Amino acid sequence: MDEIADNTFTEIHTAELPNDDPSLLTLILELSPGGWFNIKDETTILDVVKSLLVFLNGHLSLNNANQVAFIISSPTGAKFLYPNPQKEMDELRRPEEYEDSNEMGIPSLVSKGMYRQFRIVDEGVLEEFNKSINELVDADNTNITSKLAGAVSLALTYTNRMLNLDQSISTTTASAISSATKESTGVNTNTSSSSYQGLTRIKSRVLIVTPNDNEDIKYISLMNGIFAAQKMKVPIDVAKLGKKDSSYLQQAADATNGIYLHIEKPVGFIQFLSTAYFIEPSIRSLIILPTNSNVNYRASCFITGKSVEIGYVCSVCLCIISEIPESMKCPTCNSQFDDKIIAKLKRKPVVKKRKLENGGAEVSSDNGTLAPATPEPTPVPE
Amino acid sequence: MDTSDEEYVEPSSVPKEHKAKKRTNQENTGYSWEDEYQRTWDIVKDDDSRSLEAIIQGMIEGRKKKIMKLSTSPYQRGIIRTMVVIIDGSSIMSEKDLRPTRFSLMLQYLQEFIVEFFDQNPISQLGVVLMRNGISHVVSEVNGSPQYHIDKIRGLRSRQHNRFEPKGDPSLQNSLELARSLLKYNFGNNINDSKNSKEILIIFGALFTSDPGDIHETINSLVKDKIRVKVIGLSAQVAICQELVTKTNHTKNSNYGVIMNETHFKELLMDCVIPLAITKDSAPKVNEEKVPLMKMGFPTKIQPVTTSNLEPLHFCACHPTRGSDDTKNVVEIQSNVSNIGYKCPQCFSRVCSLPTVCPVCGLMLILSTHLARSYHHLVPLSEYKEVPKNDEGVYDSQWCFGCLLKFEDGLGSSRYKCGECKNDFCIDCDVFVHEILHNCPGCQ
Ligand SMILES: [Zn+2]
Ligand SMILES: [Zn+2]
Ligand SMILES: [Zn+2]
Ligand SMILES: [Zn+2]
Ligand SMILES: [Zn+2]
Repeated sequence: MDEIADNTFTEIHTAELPNDDPSLLTLILELSPGGWFNIKDETTILDVVKSLLVFLNGHLSLNNANQVAFIISSPTGAKFLYPNPQKEMDELRRPEEYEDSNEMGIPSLVSKGMYRQFRIVDEGVLEEFNKSINELVDADNTNITSKLAGAVSLALTYTNRMLNLDQSISTTTASAISSATKESTGVNTNTSSSSYQGLTRIKSRVLIVTPNDNEDIKYISLMNGIFAAQKMKVPIDVAKLGKKDSSYLQQAADATNGIYLHIEKPVGFIQFLSTAYFIEPSIRSLIILPTNSNVNYRASCFITGKSVEIGYVCSVCLCIISEIPESMKCPTCNSQFDDKIIAKLKRKPVVKKRKLENGGAEVSSDNGTLAPATPEPTPVPE
Repeated sequence: MDTSDEEYVEPSSVPKEHKAKKRTNQENTGYSWEDEYQRTWDIVKDDDSRSLEAIIQGMIEGRKKKIMKLSTSPYQRGIIRTMVVIIDGSSIMSEKDLRPTRFSLMLQYLQEFIVEFFDQNPISQLGVVLMRNGISHVVSEVNGSPQYHIDKIRGLRSRQHNRFEPKGDPSLQNSLELARSLLKYNFGNNINDSKNSKEILIIFGALFTSDPGDIHETINSLVKDKIRVKVIGLSAQVAICQELVTKTNHTKNSNYGVIMNETHFKELLMDCVIPLAITKDSAPKVNEEKVPLMKMGFPTKIQPVTTSNLEPLHFCACHPTRGSDDTKNVVEIQSNVSNIGYKCPQCFSRVCSLPTVCPVCGLMLILSTHLARSYHHLVPLSEYKEVPKNDEGVYDSQWCFGCLLKFEDGLGSSRYKCGECKNDFCIDCDVFVHEILHNCPGCQ
């Protein structure tokens, strides 16, 4: 019995120690016209972009090998502002003339005397940013739903490349050979690559900056992004400007160990960036992180798109609906719901009564704790 | 010490259909020791026309394409399963009949099993217990996060040659008792069997168990607690395991399998991904067509405001009072005291972990992220197609849309196009998008 009673926990420490490994910071800025209009008295998009550039430069200056990426989520689609492969190639072709002006003949947007690494990033972002704004002005504003889920997906595919960069050559080759060996003899092991090996040294995080108050994010896509980020151990930080909390982005940050802050007064946005969001994920466990609320894990109804606290779930496809449809069919997988169960769900007071009849005795005798119907003394082995 | 349960049964009791299946898909089958000796250099056939680099490149791409799984057909996923996997870490697990060792292969497959398990059972929980040197250890506590378990297993794998090398005898009784308490603390009572199942999966390499007491008592308590046990034997059938399986499942069905080789091991393990409740033997389907609709609550996560040091005490509705009758019944396990709790949206009771059934009002409580884990099955992403050269004999795209990687010319197309948004992706993004992300970045 002694041996059973031993509380033998095998705690295997997997938490990594803080170190100087390079880090990739991916910024996602949402360009939702309505959202920015609503906070026009507080701040402007240009101020925010300026602060973000300072933030990026700060990140670059921490470590020589640090990387940055800047993605814009515009109603016309999500795209990279930086890095820009077109520009990289131009620069390779003519590293010297590049100093004077860019290919469009417009004078350089940032001072020539700036540290080269900063200048490349700042100039690249600003140029592309202006293009995006112009594109948005020219576009017909019929479809202005949020493309944030796409931007998150882009951030993750880019992160995936950066994470795989070091290890791809050594490990993939080795495993390709070993799996091919097995195939050739008919023993198919079908090794899955989805299990992340975690051999890489580069760290990564994503910061989403959005003023969008409409909860028009594509729920499923965002959720898929959250799970991928979880697997890759990429925290998603969120700076939510504007009036309202975003329940879905709160969940994104919470599920990935990111920081979520609702910044109602974005005056001095750089302060937020340089404190809360500047902390490397590897040292976050040592620091009391700012949070400002409980996380509301509301889900989105598949029919109405509204968020729900208590809803119904199809047991086949697990889609969430806030009301039982007339047709008694699942809106997603078209399964016919069991009418007996629906009848039970609809008779709410009766459900309560039934609980008392079946489980009442049990619950009351146990003070509501979870216990088996017939508690038995422990078998005591010698 | 009572080691009387050493009974050897020939592995001939392996279900017949498994053997039949094997014969049809592979010519070279049977026990792994009958395999031909494999040399890694045999497969690299030197071909003058192509460089070695190109061959390897092709091999990598071919492999990456192949391992992309087909989307599985939907079935009832809305069952909270709580499973404890008991793995054998006794000295016999250092045998090399499975390569590289039994222990190592088991951990590797277990990692894959965990991924698959949570993929197919999104609102379920899992825990892992290790039998080693007569006692049992908790490798990972019962938890609904696949990543947590994978990290723990990886930690065990990386230390399998120093601190956690297979050692000593296994004790089924100790492990079963530990598993029983783990299951009990997470799911005390079966409020509704159709929503909630408690299972133990044992991967057993040894042919005996060395227990401190009467294992039959433990089996009886498992039956009483409605915990069902499945066993995968790595060498031969053992009578005590057969008894355990038969008694806890109330049937003489195929919940006890003995492996023949690596592939068969994996098959048996992956069979456990499918919920027991809907296996063909048990619970005849009442309504073939109609599916149940479940009422669920999405609670609010209550987290302490970190700026204050004064945290009030919290009481939860799920854990029994310390020292009460309920805690005497099982081996006590210290759970991590945490300030994080969840509030039932119906009755506002506080519970410690999710998913669960609210102990007060009976509502199923779950995080929306648990459900969403399976949503990629709802909208399967169509496959990307390899891009041919255009009319001028060159490719239109220069770099990958997803990761901005410049496409290398000369080694085939290496471009894969999304049929919806017409963007080109590299092979790494293709695999990542279909295997992990399940979203096309260009289509959102
Ligand atoms: Zn459905
Ligand atoms: Zn509790
Ligand atoms: Zn409740
Ligand atoms: Zn790519
Ligand atoms: Zn697409």
